Amino acid sequence: MKKSLVYVSLLSALMAGCSSTPLNDAAEPGAAGTPNSLEESLSLDKLRSDSLLTQRSVYFDFDKYEVKPEYQDIVNAHAQYVADHPNAKVTLKGHADYRGAHEYNLALGQKRSVSVKGAMNVSGANDDQIETVSYGEEEANQNCQGNECSQDRRVVISYEVE
Amino acid sequence: MKLIKFFILNLCLLAITQTQAIEVIDILGGKANELSVAVTPFVGDETNNIHNVIKSDLTRSGFFRAINIDAVKSFPKNIEDVDFTFWSALKSELLIIGKVEDNGDQIKVTYDLVDVFKEKLITTLEFIGKKNQDRQIAHQISNLVYEKITGTPGVFHTRVAFVKKIDNKKFTLNVSDMDGYNSKAVVTSTQPIISTRWSPDGEKIAYVSFEKKKPVIFVQNLKTGERKLVANFKGNNSAPAWSPDSKKLAIVLTYNANSQIYLMDADGSNIKRLIRSRSIDTEPTWSPDGKSIFFVSDRGGGPQIYKMNLDDDEAKRVTFEGRYNVSPRLSPDGKLLTFITMEQGSFRVAVQNLISNQVMKLTVGKNDESPIFSPNGHMILYSRKLQGEKAEIATVSLNGLKSVKIDVGKELTQEPTWSPFDF
Repeated sequence: MKKSLVYVSLLSALMAGCSSTPLNDAAEPGAAGTPNSLEESLSLDKLRSDSLLTQRSVYFDFDKYEVKPEYQDIVNAHAQYVADHPNAKVTLKGHADYRGAHEYNLALGQKRSVSVKGAMNVSGANDDQIETVSYGEEEANQNCQGNECSQDRRVVISYEVE
Repeated sequence: MKLIKFFILNLCLLAITQTQAIEVIDILGGKANELSVAVTPFVGDETNNIHNVIKSDLTRSGFFRAINIDAVKSFPKNIEDVDFTFWSALKSELLIIGKVEDNGDQIKVTYDLVDVFKEKLITTLEFIGKKNQDRQIAHQISNLVYEKITGTPGVFHTRVAFVKKIDNKKFTLNVSDMDGYNSKAVVTSTQPIISTRWSPDGEKIAYVSFEKKKPVIFVQNLKTGERKLVANFKGNNSAPAWSPDSKKLAIVLTYNANSQIYLMDADGSNIKRLIRSRSIDTEPTWSPDGKSIFFVSDRGGGPQIYKMNLDDDEAKRVTFEGRYNVSPRLSPDGKLLTFITMEQGSFRVAVQNLISNQVMKLTVGKNDESPIFSPNGHMILYSRKLQGEKAEIATVSLNGLKSVKIDVGKELTQEPTWSPFDF
C-alpha cells in the first residue's frame, strides 16, 4: 500500500512539473515547487551523504545468513532511517555465490535478506516498509575463487525513490 | 515411434529372442561389466550417421563398450555373411550389422543384433522412414538393442531441455534430442531462466524466469507455443515440481519471509500452503506414486533432504552423510534418490538407495548441479562445470562408468530437464 503512495506522490510531483511549465523546463521537476516535500520528507540528502546510510551491502559467510557484528552499525542506521521516514520503502535483495544449486542459492539469498530485515525490525523498522527478494546466484561471478566469492554473498539495500 | 514404421521381418526370429542369449545386466547390484560390441558401418549408408549414432548412444549408456574396428576392411550385410571366428578374435561379444536401401524419398534400414560367442541372431528388424529420419531410426535401433540386452527400454529417442546463457545477456530455454542434436530455442529472454521441469505428460515445461525483476513461474506449452505466467505472488516464486498426473505444481513462495512450499493447480489456481516451517524449505519433488514430497530444508542447520507424506504432514530426514545435500529427484520406480552432495568444496552427483540408504557418488565434481533420472532410470542428466570453464550438460550412467557431455554448442548450458518416454 505504502509503495503505491510513494509512487503517487512522486508521479504527482512529476506531473506538477509538467503541467505548470512548458516542455523545455520539465527536465527539472524540483523547480516546480512541490517535489521538495518528497525530498524533505525522505531526507534524501542524508540518504546520499551519511557515512553509514551510503553503505548498502551486507556480506555473509558461505552458506550462512547471520548478520555479522561488523555490519550491525550499517543495518541499525538503515533501520533508524526507515523508522524515521514512514514514507520510505526499502528493498533488501539477497545474493549468493555461484557454488551449489541455483534454487538453494535463491532460498539462501532470501534467507539473508530476511535476516537483515529481522535485524532492522529489532531496531524499530516497520515490516510494511521493507520488501525482501532474492536473486540467488544469478548475478554472481561464475568463476570466483576463494575470498573473491565473498563479494557475491551479500544483501543489497536499496530505496524506492532512488 | 509415431514417425517411423517398423516391421518385424521374420516371425521365426522372435523365437530366438525369447531364449535371451546374453544375461540381463544387474543394474542395481552394481555388477557393471561393459559388454563389448562391434557396431559396423551400415552398408549403403553414405553419411555413416546410423553407425555413429548407434555407437555413441550405446557408449553413453555405460553398459556397452564399442570395440575399435578401424582396421576392418569389409563388413557383413546380414548374419549369413558373418565370419564368427574373425569377430570373436576381436573379442566382440555383440555385433550390430545392417544395410540402408535408398528408395527415392524413403530409406529402408535393416539391422541384425548378433551374439558372436553363441553364433546366434538375437534380433533383427526393418525400418522405413524419410531420408532425413536416419538419426531417429538409428536411435530406435539403439533402443531395441538396449532393451534386448538390459531388459529395460532405451531412452535414445527422448528429448532434453536446458538453459543457454549467451554472451551474458541472452537466455534461451532450448529443447533438443537427448544427444544434443536438433536443438531449438522455445523461450528467449534477457533475464535469467532456471529450474526447468518437463511435465510427466510430455506437453509442457515449467520454469522460473527473472523477467519481472524477481523470480516468477511460467509454463510453456510445447505443442501450442503458448506461455502462461502461473505464479507471480509477492516475493520470490520458484522451484516448480509437477505432480505425476501433471495436474498440480508444488512451488516455493517467500512473500516477505523464508522460502516455503505451496501446492497449486497447474494453471495457477487453488494455491495452498503445504509445509510450514521457519527455515528454508525448497526444491520440492514428488515421489512417482504421488503420495509424498521430497524437499530440501536447512531446519537441521545445513541443507539436507527430507520426505513428507502428503497425508500425515510429518517430515522425515532422508540424507545423513555430509553437510550439504540439495536438488533431490527420484528414480521412476521410486527406489533411488539422486541429489547433489558437497564434499571438501566439491559438488557431486550422488545416488542413495532408499531401502538400504547406501550412498554412491557418481561424478567427481567439482561444480555439478541439477541431476535428473532418465525416463528408464538408468542414466542421470546433470550440469557440470570445472573452475574457469563454462557449465555444460552431460549424462552419467547409474554405474558411474560413463559421463558424457551433451554437445549443444559453446555457450554456457545448465539447468537441464528430461522429457518422459512419450512427448
